[in-house]
Amino acid sequence: MVWVAEAEGLTKLFGEIRALDGLSFRVEEGEIYGLIGPNGAGKTTALRIVSTLILPTSGAVHVLGRDVVTEATEVRKLLSYLPEEAGVYKNLSGYEYLRFMGKFNSGNRADLKKMIEDAAEISGLGERLKDRTKTYSKGMKRRLLVARALMAKPRLAVLDEPTSGLDVLHSYHVRGIIKQHVQKHGVTVLLSSHNMLEVEHLCNRVALINRGRIVAEGTPTELKSKYKAANLEEVFAEVAGLA
Amino acid sequence: MLEGFGNVVVKEVKELIRDRKVLIGIIFVPMIMFAVMGFAVNISMQTVVESAQKVTVGVLDQDGGFYADMMVSFFASVNMTVVEVEASGVDQAIEDLQGSNMTALIFIPLGFSSNITSGQQGTVETYCVFRGAGMAESASASAINAVLEAFKKSLVPPAFLEKVGVFQKSVVKGKVVDVPPDVLFSIMMSQYIGMPLGVIMLTVVAMQIAATAVASEKEEKTLETMLTVPTSRFTILAGKLAGSVIVAAIGALAYMLSFTYYMGSFTAAFPSQAGVDLASLGLTPTMAGYLVLGASLFVALLSSLALAIAISSFAEDVRSAQAMVGYLYILVFVPMIFLMYADVNALPLPLQLALFAIPYTHPMLAARAVFTEEYTLAVLGIVYVTVFTVVVLYVAARIFTTEKILTMRLRLRRGKPRREE
Repeated sequence: MVWVAEAEGLTKLFGEIRALDGLSFRVEEGEIYGLIGPNGAGKTTALRIVSTLILPTSGAVHVLGRDVVTEATEVRKLLSYLPEEAGVYKNLSGYEYLRFMGKFNSGNRADLKKMIEDAAEISGLGERLKDRTKTYSKGMKRRLLVARALMAKPRLAVLDEPTSGLDVLHSYHVRGIIKQHVQKHGVTVLLSSHNMLEVEHLCNRVALINRGRIVAEGTPTELKSKYKAANLEEVFAEVAGLA
Repeated sequence: MLEGFGNVVVKEVKELIRDRKVLIGIIFVPMIMFAVMGFAVNISMQTVVESAQKVTVGVLDQDGGFYADMMVSFFASVNMTVVEVEASGVDQAIEDLQGSNMTALIFIPLGFSSNITSGQQGTVETYCVFRGAGMAESASASAINAVLEAFKKSLVPPAFLEKVGVFQKSVVKGKVVDVPPDVLFSIMMSQYIGMPLGVIMLTVVAMQIAATAVASEKEEKTLETMLTVPTSRFTILAGKLAGSVIVAAIGALAYMLSFTYYMGSFTAAFPSQAGVDLASLGLTPTMAGYLVLGASLFVALLSSLALAIAISSFAEDVRSAQAMVGYLYILVFVPMIFLMYADVNALPLPLQLALFAIPYTHPMLAARAVFTEEYTLAVLGIVYVTVFTVVVLYVAARIFTTEKILTMRLRLRRGKPRREE
């Protein structure tokens, strides 16, 4: 079995705060794997470690066999990260932003051109890509950012709350983009969300996180059946002892 | 009409006073800055006064008459050291003056005394030697003038006062210039003030630009994405620095051009009939001077930008970054205050060393070297500032290659660390 991402006993301390407490999970190739849990559960910390932004206090993460600490530069070539509160350069147009970011991943001009064309299609922003991003709505910016994260067809796309703060229409569009992209290009996605109902429709497998630990893991159907729950929200309430 | 005004004021005051960065910026920094500036002015002026008190006057007395003797005795009576110069003429006397500690030459030509007694005008010529920045020379010249005026007033009968003519001249790099020392000093002073002010304005603007380079990425939430792209973080840092350098270089070029115009305006203001040809005196910069000044300015700017980027990496947003960089202005202003009045070599050694350690001292020294054409110190300064910049860049790169760039915050307030999600 090829594990695209493999976290083993991850612990992260911020001073006295234990953000992660022995977190372990494995993401298979071509699946959408969701880390779900309430605010402060440790989802963003886990994704930041996977994305080489911060270091684990203990434990290890490998992306396609490469260590995120000792082989960070190599890992960055394999993944693409979309932070929860990502922004865009407001004085660049949508196209300029995609070109700037695309140049880090493309080998030649033809690659870059194709990448930007794909991103334009994914974002669905059409002619508005010629406008400066400071004129975009929050939803348009997020669509541009998701397109940026997926355009290079990374082996692993790490998406932190991809629909965070978006209205129903934009959320629907973004979810559609992710699903379509995985099916079309075989990209593996590791995402986080606190919207459990949304994740139920999007993810192949999910891990429920609470206080830096995984409290349950499986497909949404397995989990609902195991805990005799109508949805993942009820599953979480059950495993977190809230029910 | 202003309902709720008080409420808003109270909230604003609370917000500002509880922000330690603001508090330090508006109370602590000005207190230190003005204390240091006051100290700087005090020390500099003291140095000037001390050197002015040590006036040694050379006298070339070809007259040897009653009034000439009286004048020489008058100078000695006011605690000035008077040295009799043995020379065949003024030119030779001035040559002798160069290698001595004499600050001025008083030339009493033959017939000075007899002219006065016969009702004609007796003339005396003073030659003030410019060696340093000019303030000490100007002070010496004023002291000599004051003594000459006092001498004239002491003459009996008082009508003789009108019979003594004084012609003041200056000596620059061994050449006699038919311009009074105070006029020459005011020209040099304008140039010395103009140059440091330009350097400071440029440095301040460039530092503000560089400070926003990292902080705006944090504020606009683009930094995290940038740090995960497949390129080294040193490349990102170097790119940011290069971008700021390009903007600063354009600024430096504009500055050099406007400074050339500024210098030209002095030459134009003193046409040949006034006898002041600044170019032939070496008072307008040569090409070598421009190169040294340009290089010094460039490395100082580079060091400011590197320092601003390194320091602003700690800031969470643009406002904090600019506040932090504001603290560096103390380092920019202090050398200017010291060097505007005093010659760096005349200051106490610990102060000299402290000034040399500050990178912004060196463009000021280079600006002065352009006029004195003594480039050794300026070139050493360029080497020092370059090394300083490399060290700062190395530290900044170290910060960039660790997670500190995201997690490090300048904590002015003690409290529990924030929990990440």
